[in-house]
Amino acid sequence: MWAAAAVRGLRGARLSSWLPQRVPLRESHWQSSLLELRTSLPVRAQPKKKKKVDVKKEQAQKERMKKKLKKLEKAAPELIPIEDFITPLKYSESNRVRSLPGLSPEESERRVLLLKKWCLFKQKQDEAEKKAIKGLVESQQEALKELRLESEELYEAAIRRDEELFPFERDGPSYTPPLPGYDPPEGKCIDITKVYTQ
Amino acid sequence: MAGHCGARVMAAPLRRRAAGGARWVCGAAAQRPWKLFGAMCLLRLPRITQPLEKMEEEMAALMEQIELEKSHYSDHEIRKLGEEEQLRKMKESSYDEDEALGKTVIMAQDLEEKWEQKFLQFKAAPRITDADKNNDRTSLNRKLDSNLMLLVKQKIGNQELWLLPQVEWQPGETLRSTAERAMATFLGDHIQAKVLGNAPYGIYKYKFPRAIRTENNVGAKVFFFKAFLQSSDLSQAELKADHLWVTKKELGDYLKLEYLKKVNRFLLDL
Repeated sequence: MWAAAAVRGLRGARLSSWLPQRVPLRESHWQSSLLELRTSLPVRAQPKKKKKVDVKKEQAQKERMKKKLKKLEKAAPELIPIEDFITPLKYSESNRVRSLPGLSPEESERRVLLLKKWCLFKQKQDEAEKKAIKGLVESQQEALKELRLESEELYEAAIRRDEELFPFERDGPSYTPPLPGYDPPEGKCIDITKVYTQ
Repeated sequence: MAGHCGARVMAAPLRRRAAGGARWVCGAAAQRPWKLFGAMCLLRLPRITQPLEKMEEEMAALMEQIELEKSHYSDHEIRKLGEEEQLRKMKESSYDEDEALGKTVIMAQDLEEKWEQKFLQFKAAPRITDADKNNDRTSLNRKLDSNLMLLVKQKIGNQELWLLPQVEWQPGETLRSTAERAMATFLGDHIQAKVLGNAPYGIYKYKFPRAIRTENNVGAKVFFFKAFLQSSDLSQAELKADHLWVTKKELGDYLKLEYLKKVNRFLLDL
């Protein structure tokens, strides 16, 4: 009789079925012991850290990284060495110096006079070229003027820029003309130039 | 505008009196008394270098001499000098011979001789071709060091003249396409030529003889265009047999004086 009543009254309790009403109930399954207060913390939830300090630290770290990067970028990039301008050391040895008889005064005189004549020759050549180009331009201007007198549309068509003209490629002349039926020797060209990256 | 009217005034004084103000006529008249022709000056560019002048040769020799004086010995030369030293020592002292007999060394001198032999064996194509020797002016293989121009024999009026290929302009095409058509009529369609721009290079104006001249047909204007020939052989059909490839100096043998003067203005000396 009293057992049935106890069972009815105390739902959760296992141990103390004979105690009066005011009995400690296990309120949640985290409460491991009924007699104690809630002492153990729930294990699975996230720990509540203080957020402000951490955020500040992270920000400070990021700024430091950015400053370092800026310093590195500001420093001038390493220059790529021009290999043509660096004389390899083996060519400055003393045994390499050529020993030739010196210049006689007549020879140096002849050289100076030849250089002066060359200067004049080149000047004349340059003037002739410029005159020829000027003549070319004049002839073209005259032709365009006459064309304009004829018809405006043809003139406009002539004035228009020719898009297909450039890039203009042409192989220059060689000393002898190409040999017909020449069979060049077989071979492979391996490029060994050093490539630098900045 | 004024210049145009001036020409018309010269040719047709009656018209001016009839129309009144000269300016008026120019604006209103659609007929042009000048016939337009487009001519193509096709140039074959030089294939070999021109011979050096005396001044240039002397200068080249001087430059080589200076370069030699300022240079150091190269690896090949050092090797050669070293071997010459060795040979001299071997000749002076006899005990080194046994050592040298054991190994067969390729000397720098031998290498040089081998290279010289190889060079002598190579036969380059001659600079002065057969066409030059025979003075065959119809072939493209002559005068490889200068520009060659195409001249064609054409019938103008009742005369057969040597001219740069020209064809009359037809309305609806630009002058450049007229010139290209001229080239195609005389050399066939399969020519690779690079026309240098849309603008004409020169103009030759002439009036028809008095017999043919009318008010509407005073004369003709021939506009010259320049093109570079790019394909090296023209084995395709040459439609007109009377063609020549000539240099600038030889143009005088074929062209009329006035025409020649105008053509020479836009050709560079080569």
